[in-house]
Amino acid sequence: MYQSERERWEIRIDKEADIVAVRQRVRDIAKEHRFDQFAVAALTTAASELSRNVWVHAQKGIALISVLRNGHKIGVELEFVDHGPGIADLNRALAGGFSTSHSLGLGLSGTKRLVDEFSIDTGPARGTKIVIRKWKKEF
Amino acid sequence: MDILKLDDQELKRRLAFFELTDEDFKRLTALKPFAERWTNEITEGLYELIMGQQESRAFFPDQATLARVKKLQNSYFLGLFSGTYDLNYVRDRLRVGTAHERIGMPPKLYLGAYRRYLALIHARLQDHFKGNDAEAFKALSTIRKIIFFDMALAIDTYISAYLETMTRHQAAIRELSTPVIKVHDRILLLPIVGTVDTQRAHQIMETVLVQIVEQQAKVMILDIAGVPVVDTKVADHILKTTAAVQLLGAQTILTGISASVARTVVQLGVEITRVHTRSKLSEGIELALSIVGKKITSNRERAEGGGA
Amino acid sequence: MPYGPIPILKLGSTLLATIQIELHDTVVDSFQNDVLEEIERTGSNGLIIDISALETVDSYVARMLANTGKMAKLMGAETVIVGMRPAVAATLVRMGYFMEGISTALSLEEGLELHARRSKLPDGMVDS
Repeated sequence: MYQSERERWEIRIDKEADIVAVRQRVRDIAKEHRFDQFAVAALTTAASELSRNVWVHAQKGIALISVLRNGHKIGVELEFVDHGPGIADLNRALAGGFSTSHSLGLGLSGTKRLVDEFSIDTGPARGTKIVIRKWKKEF
Repeated sequence: MDILKLDDQELKRRLAFFELTDEDFKRLTALKPFAERWTNEITEGLYELIMGQQESRAFFPDQATLARVKKLQNSYFLGLFSGTYDLNYVRDRLRVGTAHERIGMPPKLYLGAYRRYLALIHARLQDHFKGNDAEAFKALSTIRKIIFFDMALAIDTYISAYLETMTRHQAAIRELSTPVIKVHDRILLLPIVGTVDTQRAHQIMETVLVQIVEQQAKVMILDIAGVPVVDTKVADHILKTTAAVQLLGAQTILTGISASVARTVVQLGVEITRVHTRSKLSEGIELALSIVGKKITSNRERAEGGGA
Repeated sequence: MPYGPIPILKLGSTLLATIQIELHDTVVDSFQNDVLEEIERTGSNGLIIDISALETVDSYVARMLANTGKMAKLMGAETVIVGMRPAVAATLVRMGYFMEGISTALSLEEGLELHARRSKLPDGMVDS
């Protein structure tokens, strides 16, 4: 599997409006590659959740969006990197449901359910890197 | 053709993998006189094989078709030595492949023909370079590269066509397996028959939600009498669907709940309290009607001026 | 009068807010402000929020809608969210976000009907 160099975007996240920018770019790409409305919503929402996490917890980070091809399959990969405080209790964050409190709204477990692949690398003082992938339904 | 997504990047990658370089392109251009001299003979040689086998002969039923196709074959052959190998060249080749796929020529015949082509070209090259084996070898290598490049494109068109057919079929299967029926104004019914795996469950939720909004339905009846096994996973899928229906502002009525399903669900500790449930579909329909402010009355009731 | 970019109309005793733009902090703040001020100014006892133009509702937006509803309720107005898109409903449910305590209806018409039905009930009782 390879990524064609041209189909990769980088968006800096250091203000709240950037969350909207990431969201819109992901939506446009998903629509362009003819993902169905439910897949578009899943990708866009996941992008929104993860961008917001970066902004809320690290105030600064980056979103990397790529289009993936594997034979005839098409997928979208989103990578969110920040050098924030990291997630201390990862297991709890991944297990739990939604927190309604503004500051703890990580929503990671929910986001995980919207995508096909989810990987996270985080730790105190190590920052956080989250990579998610969603493949277009083949038929 | 969409499925192939051939752009400049992909073209570059292919040319690189087939090791086609500028040296090859120059050589091909230089061989143009050779091609023009021998194209008729080579085409004849190719069709000798094709017409000599019953299976392939069937594709060329009359002289007119055969003559036309031989002409096209000549221009195809000359195209190999055109000197320009860009997206236009590629599109042209794809068209050739598509044409063959459309008439139903199987890949084995298509590839067999290419093999014959190469053999004929090889023989002519040896004559052309009269004893200069090194040059003949280089020419053959280059021609082989471009022919294989073309073959890959041809095979891709076959695969493309099959994928497009499968896409159409899958769409039809999906529609058939989630038949949402309009029972009455603002009341929809979806009888779920057969096993519900995760993929199907997603399909069901999506179809249900889209239909509710399209039809502005207030009630969705989900009949599960035809679902053979209702375990926690299936129950979870159904509940997610009812939750989503509720978010839209509509209601779900679950019907066709057998005694064993009722037992299983409670024993598994699944909560289905916020959803209307009935064991029989008819009861579900009556409930749905009452929700939208209607009811079924017998003719006698109406005739007697009753039916409040 | 509403200052933010989200229009709020008066429909009888109900307010109708139609969200057609991307939502972020400043927009949300002014929206909630405007809603509450309008409820106060008009004495409305109902608020309908039309989200038919929203393609994406993430947990932030869902929380915002729920909070707006709670704020409106404190001021005596019941909220109904209308026009949710199929993909939005599916995504929220798949994430595990069920939006408890929020009333929804298929359309503005249905929302007004629901509000009218509920207004007839004694305070504290909620119609399904």
